[in-house]
Amino acid sequence: MRKQRRPVRTPRGDLRLGRRKSTLNHAEHSAGSPETGARVRRRLTHSKRRTSLRAGLAVVGGRTAGALSRRLHLGGGTSIVGLVAQRMYPDIVGHLATQLEHGSVIVTGTNGKTTTSGFIAAILSDAGLRVWRNREGSNLMGGIASSLVIRALPTGHLRRDGRAISILEVDEAVIPQVVQIVPTRVVVFTNLFRDQLDRYGEVDSVTTRWQQTLETLSKDTILVLNADDPTTAHLGEAFGGRVLYFGIDDPTLDLSTQQKTDERHQVIDTRTCPHCGGEYTYKLRFFSHLGHYRCTRCGRQRPQAEVRAIKVQSDDFDRTRMQVSSLVMETANKKEQEIIIPLPGIYNVYNALAAVTVAQALEIGWEPIVTGIEQFKPIFGRGERIHIEGRTLRLLLAKNPTGFNEVLRTLFSEGTRRHVLFVLNDNIADGRDISWIWDVDFERAVHLTSTLVVAGSRALDLALRLKYAGVAEDEMITVTSAPLRAMKRDGTLVTRNKRRTKNRNERYGIAEALDKAVHETPVGETLFVVPTYTGLLEIQHELERRGLTPRYWEGRDS
Amino acid sequence: MNDSVTPQLTLTLGHLYPDQLNLYGDRGNILVLSQRCRQRGIELRVVVLGIGDALAPDEYDMLFIGGGQDREQAPVAQDLHETKGIGLWAAIEDDMPVLAVCGGYQLLAHYYRPASGPDMRGLGVFDAWTIHKGPQVARCIGDIAISWNGSTLVGFENHGGRTYLGTAQPIGKVLRGYGNNAEDATEGAIYRNAYGTYMHGSLLPKNPHFADHLIELALQRKYGKKDWSDSSVDEAGEWTQEVPSLERLKTANFDPSLALTPLDDRLEWEAHAFLLERMGLQNAAKAVLSTHNS
Repeated sequence: MRKQRRPVRTPRGDLRLGRRKSTLNHAEHSAGSPETGARVRRRLTHSKRRTSLRAGLAVVGGRTAGALSRRLHLGGGTSIVGLVAQRMYPDIVGHLATQLEHGSVIVTGTNGKTTTSGFIAAILSDAGLRVWRNREGSNLMGGIASSLVIRALPTGHLRRDGRAISILEVDEAVIPQVVQIVPTRVVVFTNLFRDQLDRYGEVDSVTTRWQQTLETLSKDTILVLNADDPTTAHLGEAFGGRVLYFGIDDPTLDLSTQQKTDERHQVIDTRTCPHCGGEYTYKLRFFSHLGHYRCTRCGRQRPQAEVRAIKVQSDDFDRTRMQVSSLVMETANKKEQEIIIPLPGIYNVYNALAAVTVAQALEIGWEPIVTGIEQFKPIFGRGERIHIEGRTLRLLLAKNPTGFNEVLRTLFSEGTRRHVLFVLNDNIADGRDISWIWDVDFERAVHLTSTLVVAGSRALDLALRLKYAGVAEDEMITVTSAPLRAMKRDGTLVTRNKRRTKNRNERYGIAEALDKAVHETPVGETLFVVPTYTGLLEIQHELERRGLTPRYWEGRDS
Repeated sequence: MNDSVTPQLTLTLGHLYPDQLNLYGDRGNILVLSQRCRQRGIELRVVVLGIGDALAPDEYDMLFIGGGQDREQAPVAQDLHETKGIGLWAAIEDDMPVLAVCGGYQLLAHYYRPASGPDMRGLGVFDAWTIHKGPQVARCIGDIAISWNGSTLVGFENHGGRTYLGTAQPIGKVLRGYGNNAEDATEGAIYRNAYGTYMHGSLLPKNPHFADHLIELALQRKYGKKDWSDSSVDEAGEWTQEVPSLERLKTANFDPSLALTPLDDRLEWEAHAFLLERMGLQNAAKAVLSTHNS
């Protein structure tokens, strides 16, 4: 216990919060129900004028810093707002978060955080709540602080806190600190996959942090867990409060019924039971380690899910129809409901299920759930459509092996030839280690790409991966981030290899890659862009530069 | 005897514990070995050796062990001792090429001493040992370049343990990165044809010369000339030991290095040089490109 209260630095160095006096107060009143929120608010206005003043100063300071940073083009200026405000008043996040009438929902896990919180936001807006999110980008402490500070007044109060609920997307490693200072009504754990091992060390260390999180969580918080992921499901066992599970119950989605023999290889990040170290066996497996599992040694198995997708079928590339059966709301007269998900892939079925479960935990009826999900507009990089020079661009973020595999499965499982641009970066936010690309089934893409452009700071590594997957070298265009200096000086290589010279054309970087990929794609067709995290940001920046997307820091509450 | 025939060459690779030790894209190494063999008409069969499977040294020509998380290494260490130890030792003493990465490397040394808890015993193939100095000592994470055999090897390392060499020879000298322990600029360990290294996952794709070296060692061991002429035939040409197989007779004059015809590795070397340049090793990058890509 002592250890986790120490000031902690995140890998980005965003966080320097320990447990302080007012945090204790918040923890005592962390039920997050409207009454409690209001009571805390009154206490704040009466007895804490000084802290309000301090909070106000922090708000002004943070927002000034943000404005300056944007003006000076130092970046989006979103994280700096929170950083400066936190410097000036370390409890600013707790101070502001307590003022929300409907409290906060926290979404964490490796994959699907952004889409899941997007679904939840859409549902809650349709239910008439005012939804606030940290969607300006950062899901580390700085970004969470920013999202609140941006919406606060110089008096230290939130601008419009009535009917307000915040949905915070939180990095899986920062979650212990966040739940200590933000009163939380619902926490969702989507899944745990291998991601950025160079940053977190090992998958197991994240599991440990999650268990610590549960120890500090108020019993009034509702825990929403993925039943199909052994790691998240396991968290429910030790928790004293209410736990709701969601999962897929459609046997036709089992991998063994769908896969060809050459696709046997799948990345599995969790194989052994955390209790006894026994191996899991699967009655049904949907992807990676997600499915209906059972430990061969101690017999622990997937818990029964309250919210289940009992039938899933794909109508179109991005239209998935699922029949949901729910036991959450005992009073509801309808236990089953058909929901249309306007996004591709089985991973979005999980995201939608998580959102349905959260909504029902907050006692929201089917109607806003159905409309919220069906009319959901994809978030940047998660299937969004952008029109560029007569072509359609679709961005599909893929930041780790499981995510990448699911994107490839979505793109290539129908056997349709696609135009594709892959962007592989190895910046800190992507993870410096890119050896995971060898665990991705690029074999799926062989003979199924009409256009294939490979770009990013590790474009050559990805080209090599594709070569060993069986893609002919002349079928792909490689655009590196920078020239190879030795080759340029040498000169011989460039001239001897005519094909390569033609393909490289002496230009580098993301703008060039985008141009090449767009021009290789015939007018009227779709180019699928599959980038890692910073690759996505670069693409976004490039599209902004061309006036094709709004600037992300302008996103305020909807 | 001059008309030597190029036989149908077959190699068998034993992949140890792929279910437990598969953390860092180890599949890439296997894929590269398979394809580089296939392109030369050599068939590489990959046999998976999990926990509980026996290791019969005669059945393999090459072995591979990957890296894993601590929790998954404990049952592996136990199996290595109880089930595969003798077979593995016999194979290594018989010059079988072995590539052990990260966790696999640590398990082939004497012991792994975690920050807390008891030591994990290794096989002691390499005269080396590993100590984890606790969570306050930073992990060795990042790109790495080392010298090897007059050339360079590039890769990525991510390990908490620090390995110290006794009499074991390192694979090479660290040019950039941490290596075994971030102190003595050594990386990896060699014993006979067994190689232990911290360069994980994508080691072989960007280092085709090292991949070919391992294949050549395996071919040499299986099909090499000296193997049977020394031991099986006396001066009078009489069989002294068991009669060699027909396959071995046909390959009597066969030189394994000839089987390793050069492949088009320009992309591999470009990726190799690109990484060297990013680490500031301009001259090494230039040397690599002028040796291999011109």
